[in-house]
Amino acid sequence: MSAAPNRRPFDAGRAAYLALNALLLAFLLLPIAIVLVFALNPTPYISFPPVGVSLRWFEKFFGSSEFMNALWLSLWVASVVLVLSIVIGAACALALARGNLPGRAVLTAFFMSPLMVPAILTGLALFQAYLLSGIGRPVWGLIAAHTLVAVPYVIRTTLAVLHNFDRRIEEAAAVLGASPTRVFFEVTLPLIRPGVFAGGVFAFIVSFDQFPVSLFLVVPKGETLPVVLFNYMKFDLDGAIAAASMVSILLALSVVLVLERLIGLKAYVKL
Amino acid sequence: MTSAAIKLDQVTKTFDGRVLAVDSVTLDIAAGEFFSLLGPSGCGKTTSLRMIAGFEHPDSGRVHVGGNDITDLPVHRRDMGMVFQSYALFPHRTVAENVAFGLRMREVPKPEIERRVAAALAQVALTGFETRKPGQLSGGQQQRVALARALVVEPPVLLCDEPLGALDRKLRQQMQFELKELQKRLGVTLVFVTHDQEEALAMSDRIAVMNGGKVEQVGTPTEIYERPRTRFVADFIGEINILEEGGLLRALRPEKIRLAAPDGARLAGTVETANYLGGSTLLRVRPTTGPSMLVRETHAGERASRTPGDAVGLIWNDSDAVALES
Repeated sequence: MSAAPNRRPFDAGRAAYLALNALLLAFLLLPIAIVLVFALNPTPYISFPPVGVSLRWFEKFFGSSEFMNALWLSLWVASVVLVLSIVIGAACALALARGNLPGRAVLTAFFMSPLMVPAILTGLALFQAYLLSGIGRPVWGLIAAHTLVAVPYVIRTTLAVLHNFDRRIEEAAAVLGASPTRVFFEVTLPLIRPGVFAGGVFAFIVSFDQFPVSLFLVVPKGETLPVVLFNYMKFDLDGAIAAASMVSILLALSVVLVLERLIGLKAYVKL
Repeated sequence: MTSAAIKLDQVTKTFDGRVLAVDSVTLDIAAGEFFSLLGPSGCGKTTSLRMIAGFEHPDSGRVHVGGNDITDLPVHRRDMGMVFQSYALFPHRTVAENVAFGLRMREVPKPEIERRVAAALAQVALTGFETRKPGQLSGGQQQRVALARALVVEPPVLLCDEPLGALDRKLRQQMQFELKELQKRLGVTLVFVTHDQEEALAMSDRIAVMNGGKVEQVGTPTEIYERPRTRFVADFIGEINILEEGGLLRALRPEKIRLAAPDGARLAGTVETANYLGGSTLLRVRPTTGPSMLVRETHAGERASRTPGDAVGLIWNDSDAVALES
């Protein structure tokens, strides 16, 4: 006769741990759930409990040329910001980690400073600078501003990868006959890519969601989605706002998923 | 496969302009030789190897390979193979792509690359692992991939930086045999950096023992072990007794001492401890005067003839007590 299977004793600590996790998850997801409820509720004002399910606010959002223009502008700006901040951020991180630059700590803090300064001040400062230098408020000015705020994210994630980088791997490539340029493209770049693109995802979202900086730098008829939503909310507070929020969330999520699929952010567990 | 002689000519390297890592080292390594740089960490052995590879540029002195001065040649034009302790495989590439890398850099045609990669993997018994990623291999397998990757380009010189250091004892021993056999078969000049004196003795044609950035002694394993020139070399390699006779230091290996009756022996004393090592026992004997002596007794039977507390006499031949330079 075999022994009876041992029953795992009740573990109060583990139960508490799981409960805490469930609580945190609820805290993070509940606001999104509430937005979804409002987006689907047909009443022309935000109310609770919901009285039914309808897609009228989504129809209104997608049917409004004002919203659609803003959405496309936001997507376009965020995509350009993604590319620019990847290139600039990765280059900065490489220079900071590898360049033997004097005053490296100070330089790193300097490049990270857009994270420390409240975005509304960055927006105001750029607005004044643009006006004083006669640039005005072109789209590329907005893109430059977003890139400025987004680059630190790429620098941070790339530096994290570079910190754990075994440089012997590059040396091995060099001994095998790879020139410094080839070492960079064959070894260094592929290995830091997950960190760069993880930062790129942040950059996209930072730009796509950007409100305080954009507020100062957009022109009438050339406003990004967060600014249009803000202006809309000043007069109307109906389900269209909630629908727009849902669309934003889904777009951001799909960008993350697409990058994850294409690049495989988790592809290199071990460097 | 061709092989090349290596010459370090009074090579010196300091770091940050202060720390003297390698201090005027001159070495002549023959073509096809298995040459080890042996010493404790910080002795300059790895820096010397890295100057041969081209990762470090000497402050003064020249590096010659195959009769050519390569001191100012960049790493990627030196045509060498190198194996690292951390293996340094490309984690984002398959085993076959790792091995093919050097051939690709040399713009070898594709069909030839495939043929040579297959042959190199067969040589290290890794056929069938072509599509694996390094992360999916064991330490021993990764090291064999690193070896295949270095050797597939048929370099005249193979540099090894503690290549077996990360392997466990049994596997390390097996790899020692494999590496030495491979080196002899290919005839490649191999420079091997290690801090493991047993490994150096087992594998090398010649050894340079380094200490504090200087070469203490160069010689065959037998010369290094039997005829250490300095106290450092004697101490670093194996167990040793240092005797002082009239201001002169002599080194005496524990296995050169025979046990005898206390009467009439050169030294008489008591056995303090007896460490059983399987095939032999290492005894520590406290003489009536002077420091303790290590004695190795190789036993034909099951155990040593003496146990702690026994009174013993020690005898040895004068010729076995090697005079050391002061």
